[in-house]
Order: sequence, then C-alpha cells, then structure tokens
Amino acid sequence: MMELKNIGVRFSGRDVLKDVSVMFHSGEIIGLVAPNGTGKSTLMNVIMNYINPNSGKVILNDELEYTNKKNEVKIHQLVSMMPDQSDLYNQISGKEHLKIYSSMWNSQPKLIDETIKELGMSSYINKNTGTYSLGMRQRLCFAMQIVSDTQVMLMDEVMNGLDPTHVELISQILVKKKSEGKTVIVASHLLENLEKYADRIFFMKNGELIQVNDISPGFDVREITTVRVTDVTDTLKENFLKEFPKTNVQTLPNGTTLIDVQGYGSGELGNVLAFLKANHITEVNFGKVTLGDLYSMYYQEG
Amino acid sequence: MWPYYKFEFYQFITNKKNIAIYVLLLFFSCYYALKIAPTYDPIEKVDESEIEARFLTREEFLNTVVINDGTHHFTRFAAAIFPEWNVYDKGRLDAIKQNDLKEYAEATNKWYGYSDKMIFTRGNGVLFYHPRYYTFGNNYATMDGHYAYLYSASRYKGYAEGNSKLSINVFEERTALQTLQRLLHSYLPFILIVSCIFFTVDIVLKDRRYPTLLQGLPLSDWKKLIVKGAVSLIGSIGALVPLSVGLLIIGIQSGFGDFNLPVPIYFSAEKTFSNILLGEYILQNMLIMIFWFLFMISLLLLASVTLKNEFANLLVGCAFVIGELTYFGRGNGIFWDVQWYPTSYVQVGQVLSGYRNYLYNSEALTIVNGLFVMGLCTGIFLFFTFLISNHRKFKLL
Amino acid sequence: MWNILKTFFILEKSNKKNIFAFIFVGAFVLSLMFFVKTEDLGNPIKEKSGEFQSVSSALSKFQNVDATDRGNGSDLYKNLVLQQRLISTQSMSLKMDRPELFLDAAIELARLRANSFDLEGFDGVASYLPSRIENEFDRVFYQYIKKTGLSLTTNSLSFYQFLAYLFGILGSVWFIFISIYSCGIMIEDFRHTSLIKGYPISFDKYVLGKCISSMLIVGVILLELFVCSLPLIYFQGLGNPSYPIAIFDGVFKVYPIYKFLGLSILYMILIAIFTILLSVILNVLLKNMYLTLFVELLLFILPMLFPNMMNLVPFNPFNYMNFTSILNGQTLEFENPVDLNSTHGLIYIGMSIAIMVVAVKYFLTTGKLKKI
Repeated sequence: MMELKNIGVRFSGRDVLKDVSVMFHSGEIIGLVAPNGTGKSTLMNVIMNYINPNSGKVILNDELEYTNKKNEVKIHQLVSMMPDQSDLYNQISGKEHLKIYSSMWNSQPKLIDETIKELGMSSYINKNTGTYSLGMRQRLCFAMQIVSDTQVMLMDEVMNGLDPTHVELISQILVKKKSEGKTVIVASHLLENLEKYADRIFFMKNGELIQVNDISPGFDVREITTVRVTDVTDTLKENFLKEFPKTNVQTLPNGTTLIDVQGYGSGELGNVLAFLKANHITEVNFGKVTLGDLYSMYYQEG
Repeated sequence: MWPYYKFEFYQFITNKKNIAIYVLLLFFSCYYALKIAPTYDPIEKVDESEIEARFLTREEFLNTVVINDGTHHFTRFAAAIFPEWNVYDKGRLDAIKQNDLKEYAEATNKWYGYSDKMIFTRGNGVLFYHPRYYTFGNNYATMDGHYAYLYSASRYKGYAEGNSKLSINVFEERTALQTLQRLLHSYLPFILIVSCIFFTVDIVLKDRRYPTLLQGLPLSDWKKLIVKGAVSLIGSIGALVPLSVGLLIIGIQSGFGDFNLPVPIYFSAEKTFSNILLGEYILQNMLIMIFWFLFMISLLLLASVTLKNEFANLLVGCAFVIGELTYFGRGNGIFWDVQWYPTSYVQVGQVLSGYRNYLYNSEALTIVNGLFVMGLCTGIFLFFTFLISNHRKFKLL
Repeated sequence: MWNILKTFFILEKSNKKNIFAFIFVGAFVLSLMFFVKTEDLGNPIKEKSGEFQSVSSALSKFQNVDATDRGNGSDLYKNLVLQQRLISTQSMSLKMDRPELFLDAAIELARLRANSFDLEGFDGVASYLPSRIENEFDRVFYQYIKKTGLSLTTNSLSFYQFLAYLFGILGSVWFIFISIYSCGIMIEDFRHTSLIKGYPISFDKYVLGKCISSMLIVGVILLELFVCSLPLIYFQGLGNPSYPIAIFDGVFKVYPIYKFLGLSILYMILIAIFTILLSVILNVLLKNMYLTLFVELLLFILPMLFPNMMNLVPFNPFNYMNFTSILNGQTLEFENPVDLNSTHGLIYIGMSIAIMVVAVKYFLTTGKLKKI
C-alpha cells in the first residue's frame, strides 16, 4: 500500500502537481487518464523519486519514505516502473533482459519462462532485441517488469503499439497480478480497455488528481443510468426537452448526446426509446456513461 | 545530397568532441609557440665565438707547426687540411662581422661541404662532427652528423643563390614557415592524423542513437557515407586553422620567412642534396597529408560499417599510426620493401625531404610511391565499403 | 552485489569492445616481439661502439696531452682517457667472450664516472656521458651481476626478459590504454537510463559493480599478456626470472625480474582502478566520452608539460601514471629534480582512489541520471 501525501511539484513557476494526496491499496489497479503533458509522468517520477517534489512525500507500507539513499534502494526493491522501449540493449537478447531484471530484483527464476509463455514471446525471445519490432519491444518491457515482481508496478503507456490481441493478453495478466495482491498503476489512452479492469480511475487536470467517481457519481453503479445517442440535432434536442422536461440532456464535444435516465423505470425508458425511434435515431445505447464520455466532458469542453 | 551535407556539417561543428579537439589544438599550438619554440636550440647555429675559437686555434697551429721527417702523420694530415678549412672559416667570420649575410651563406656552404668531406671520408677517429651529435647513447652520431652537414651545405647554397631576405633567424630556421617545415619533419603529421582519426571515429556510429530519424532519408547508404567522409575531410583540413594561430605568434616573434626559402631534399640514389622551394615543399606535404586524411577516413568508414564499434575504430586508426614502429630500423630498407606499406609514409615531412630514405637506406620512399600506395589503399577501402553498403542485407545503423 | 555483477556479466559478454581490446592487446604483444627482434635490442657490441665515440668526442674538447698521473692534463681529462680505455677493454672482452673482464671494467667505469661528475669542467662534456642516474643504475646492476655470478649475456626475447621489457613499455602507455578503454564506461549506461534508474541498488554499489566487472576484464588482459608471451618459452627459452633490473625507489637498487613484474602489475591494477573511477566521475560530469578521454589525457601530460608542477604538488597522482619513468628515475633528471618515489606513488594513487570512492558515494546517484 502506498500513500502520496500533499505532493507538489513546480516547474518554472507552473504547478505540475498541486497538493496531491492519495492512497493506493494492495490488490488494486489504478488507472491514470489525462492528455499528454498534464503531469502523469511527473507523478510517476515522483513516486520513483526520479524527481524531488517541492513538497509532500511518498510513504510506502506506512513506514518507508525517500529520506535517504538506503531507503531509496529499499523502496525500489518494492516499486518498479516499466522501462522505456528505446532503452533496451540492442546487442543482447530479450531473454537476457529478463534475466537481468530477475537477478536485480532477486525474483523467482521460473517467472522468466512463465512470463515468456504467457505473453507468447518464445519464438523471438532468444534473438537480439535490435531485431525486434516496436510491439515486440513493448511486450518485452512489460515482461521485464512482470519478472521483477515488485509490490507496486508503475506502467506508463503500457499498451503503446500493441495489437488488440496483445492488449487483451496484457489486460488479463494485469488482472492476475491484482489478484496476487499487487498494486498496479497504469497510465493509458485505451479508455475502454482501462475501464474494464481498473478499480479506480483518476483524471489529472491543473495539477490535481480527480477520481472519476467524483465527477460522475453514477460511474461505477451497475444499472442503466444513461442513454447515449449520436447525431442529435439542436431541434431534436429542443423537442426532446419539451417531451421530457425533467430529464437532463448533455451534448459532449465528441458528438455524443447523453440523456440522464438514472432512477427511471422500464416504462419511462420505453417512452424515451419510442421518441428516439420516431425521430429516426438509429444508434441508441442504454447503459452508463463511458470513460470516453467523461474524458470528452472533462477535457474537451471549451 | 547538398542538404544532407549541410545537415552533417552542422552536426560536425556542433559536436562537443570536435569542438574540444579544435580547442586542444589551439592550446597546444599556443603552448608550442610561446613555450617550446623560443627554446629551440639548433645544433647548426650561427655562433661567431665558436667560429673564431676554431679559426684562431688552427691558425696558431699552422703558424707554429714545423713539418719534417719526424712529424707524426696526424700532424701532417692536419697541416694539409686546415689551410683550406680556415679560408672558409675566415670567410664566415669576416662576413658575419660585416653583417654580410649573403657572403656568410656562401662561405658557410663551402665550409659545410668541405667539413663533411674531411670528416666523413678522412675523419676516421680524429675528426668529428659537431660534438652535440655524439650524445651518450646515440650509436649513429656519425650518420646524423653526415646528414646534417650535407643538409646545411645545401641549405646555405640555397640562401646564397636565392633572393630571399636573409637573417640569423632564417639561418637557424626559426621563422614561422621554417618552423612549420621543421614540425612537418617531426610530429605535426602525427597530430594531424590523430585529429583526423578523432574527427572520423564516430561520424557514422553517432547516428545509431537516432536510427528512426535518419534511416528513412531518401539517400542511399553509400552516398551518406561519402557525404560523411567529405565532412570529415573538411573538418580535418580545418584543424590547420587553430594550428596557424601558433604560427602567427611565431611569425610575430621571429619573422615569417618566405616561400622561396630553400628546402634541401636528399636523393638517396646519388647520395646528394638539392634544394626545392619552401612553398613547393609545403604544398607537397599538404598533398600527402590530404591523402593521409583520405586514407584514414576511408579506413574508418570501412571499419565503421564492418566492426560497428567506436572503440574498435580508434584502435584500428591508432594501429596504422604507430604501425611503422614494429619494423622501423636504420637500414631496414635493404631487407624490407618498406615503400609498399602505407605506414612507412606516416612521417610525411621526413619522407618528402628524403630523410626516411636515408634512415631506411632505401631509394623508394618517394612522393610518387607514397601517393600511389595511399591512393591504392584508399581505393581498396572505399571499394569494400561500397560493396558492403550496397549489400542488400546491410544496415547502416 | 552479486545481482549487479550478474547483470554486468551478461552485458560485458556481448560487448564488442572487450573483444577488440583483447585482439589489440594480443597484436600489441606480438608486434613488440617483432620490434625487439628488428631493433636488435640488448646487442652490447653495438652499444659499446657508440659509447666509445661519445667519449672520444668528449676528449676532442681537450688538447692531447700526457694523461698519466704525473702528466699536466686536468683531472677530468685523465678521467675521460681512463674511461675510453675501459670502454675499449669492454668491446674487446665482448668480442673475445671474456665476461668477467667486461664486468670488472664496467664496475670500474661506473666508479670513474661517479667521480667525474664532481670534477671541474664536467658540464662541458656532460652530454657525452651517461647521467648520474644512468650511471648509478649501471653501477648497481653490474655489482649485482658480479656478486651473484649471473651470466651477462641474455636473450632479450626469452620469456622473462621479454616480459620485463613488455611491462616496462606498458608502464608508459597503460594509463592511455585504460583511458581509451574506459572513457565511455557510464555513457553506454546513460542510453539505458529508464532501466538503470529503477534498479534496487545504490549508485555506489552500481559503480562498485561496474569497477569490479571492468577490473575482471583488465585481469583477463593482464593474463593475456602472459599467455601471448608463452610461445617464446618454446622458441627462445624461459630466461631467468631472478635476473636483475636496476630501478629507483628512493634508492638505487636492483629488482629481480619477478619482483619487477609484481610491482608493475600492482601499479597497473591500481592505475586501472583509478582510471575507471575517474572515467565514471568525468562521465557523470561531462556526459561525453571523448571529452572524458581528452580531459584524462590532458591531466596525464600536464605534469610533463609543466614539470615544475611536480615539485609543487608531489601528491598529484598523475605524476605517477607513467610508472616506468618513475622506476627509471627520470624525474630526477629535471632541471629541478623531483624525488618521486614508487612506493609513495602507490600510496598517492591509493588515496586518490579512496577520495573518488567517497565522492561517488556522497555526490552521485542513479536516480538523477539524465538520458543523453
């Protein structure tokens, strides 16, 4: 379990992180969603102590802090960050990379073969990484972190350059790691995918960390709360509001219109559907607000 | 190709390593000009008191000696050769006293010629060259003296016949251009070649840090290599700029000299010297130097595409610079065809002045052979680089 | 610690630089054998004839006069005439293969020369004669030979004799070689920062691991020097490991070859550690391997460019990087002689290593490494 306490980072007069306080528990996957340049990587760098925050501290397991170099080593034993694929050693094989990580973190050697198998890397793992494609390198980086087997894992853009099959594969491994009690912090732009396995998702804006639940209270409720419609004209919207005056309707910058139907019974939902059908709306989706909607709502307005 | 050239050139001159090389060269050339050049102490200098002492001793001997049947043969010998010798010394002495440098040059030419003839052919344990050749541990003092006397004779002949402005500094080879000539004769070629190695050592391999940026350029690998070689050549020639600062300082201190001064060249077939103009000598040096640059650059391009390791490039380059040491030895030209090894031409100035031929006892270390061997090697290196870079599996980065 | 060593082992195994270093060192040893052969080193007849000429030309500065004790020549003149006579005796004894005669003449010659240094007018003939230091080396060498009854003639290409020569040469170039080898030691890592920064190991341990793994390679290179010389045992014989070499370590004395080799190896190991640590620090500060190399070479030649500096700062470890010149007593021959002592050198280098280790421990950390 890891706690960030009042973390503040300023770069040249601008607050990149502003008084961020949050607690990450074991057995939890945390999603970090934010446009480029809003401080995601800074946050991760602070957690790794690659950047000294101007204020605040990182506390691991209620006791460890970055107070001296000895503790830094102890924390790094427990917290790892996924390596950058451009930093791989081109002249040695993928397997040797895994061996390095395994020996550096003293993890179980059998993890190497298990991970290779799980990620389907055995056909190329013994070749020099200089010959790898972007996706292969990305998978190797992920595999290296899995092999390090640390308590907290930070993954920046883990799904970059991966095809859908591998995105799925890696998601499954993340879920497995969660069940082993790891804390996994993932920054990703694959919102639908993230939504599927993340326990908590945070947005970052103006240096602050905002849990998605706070913006959209119904986000993790398991019932129909929202009707999502595309291609709604302004006239149609006006007509709809005349018909259902008590309903909240919101059109997002990405073109989706959300109709808030929280607490509606089947009859009322039926009426809404009948209205939309009568107005030749073909794409209707009953469910809840997606992460993509929230992202659009939160970052794209104005 | 031109935009790529400009791109490479910009990278070259902003490379921290290359800037450091230029700064170091500037430092060393200033250090040389301010600290080493003023302490230059040639063996063959213009020393009035030395001439006078020798002249007077011999004059006294000639005035007092009586030759009869009981005279030791050494005394007879001395009495026979000193009169002519003293005529030349007297000429030198009078000329220097009247500050008639032309006259001094003429007398000195004759003095050196006569001295060498006496010492080398008839000296035999009683006559010696200037004592400073016989330093402890020099087993070849006589050979050194012989070369230096003939060299000086030829040099003074050039001063007497030429129309350059003469001065003591010119006689003692202290002017800027003559200092350049002396440096070309000693370690300046090494400095230039080693600089060239350092300029070229990473010119191909530095790109490995940004492969995606450069792999896609619409230019074949071979052309990229050629452009890189050209940039490196320009950069290596540019090394002369910081070095010339030192020459400028020397020029201000001791005069610049001029390009019409004589440079004695040794012809080993005839075992004689003849003069060429200093300008011509420097041009010849530059020509071979440029061939050395081309040689090193093509060698390092080849090493870069085959070994792909900067450390290896450095070692390969250095191996060629110091390679001559393994087989160099006085007179070894008799046993070895040294002229067919490019490494024999590392001492550019010494090769051109014929001194290397003298040392090796060879006749074949000539500018023509040099250009041929270096050119041939450059061609071979480039040819292999061309083949490798055009191989379909080859990747530059 | 073991973890990081395993990591470095994986990386160094694949590093082409090491292979090239091994090839280069092998080629160096072989070409040195070649050099010894062509230069005809250790041919005493050639050396004696040169010496004879030098003394003759020194004598040419004097008028030929009666050189007997009662003669009217100056003391120096008489001394030189005796020297010349002894050198002739030596040449003769070489040609006639009478080593005991040669030896006696050599000891007498060294004694004469030792006297001559204080005679009036010596400065005028100094350049024709060995320096005081060279003469002292001759003296202790020949006295030792005389005392032990060892043979004077040796084959300079026999195994031990060649090794002594090889390590003598290496003493001058070892620092340069290690500088070139190690100048990029950390730069290569800076290209993989996102891996290294996160390692659960402190920077001083990381550097320590790096040094140990580099030193293992240096160890292999040292071993290679011996292995490459092994064929000489077959072709030229083993030689005598206790044959003397005259050296200076505060006093003039002789070391047997094995002791000389031991001292050389000790120096080489310390210099290697010193240089590797220096490269680490300069790499972190300058972030460029060539700048590191240039700074190191500059520090190396600075004491040679400004010899007075050696007097001023005798504890500068760079005074000792060319340890062959220390053992040869070359620094004693400066205008302002410096009594650089090889034992002190070991201490100064050792202390510099300790200081650099402390600096690495307290001022450098992996976490802040920037990618270049």
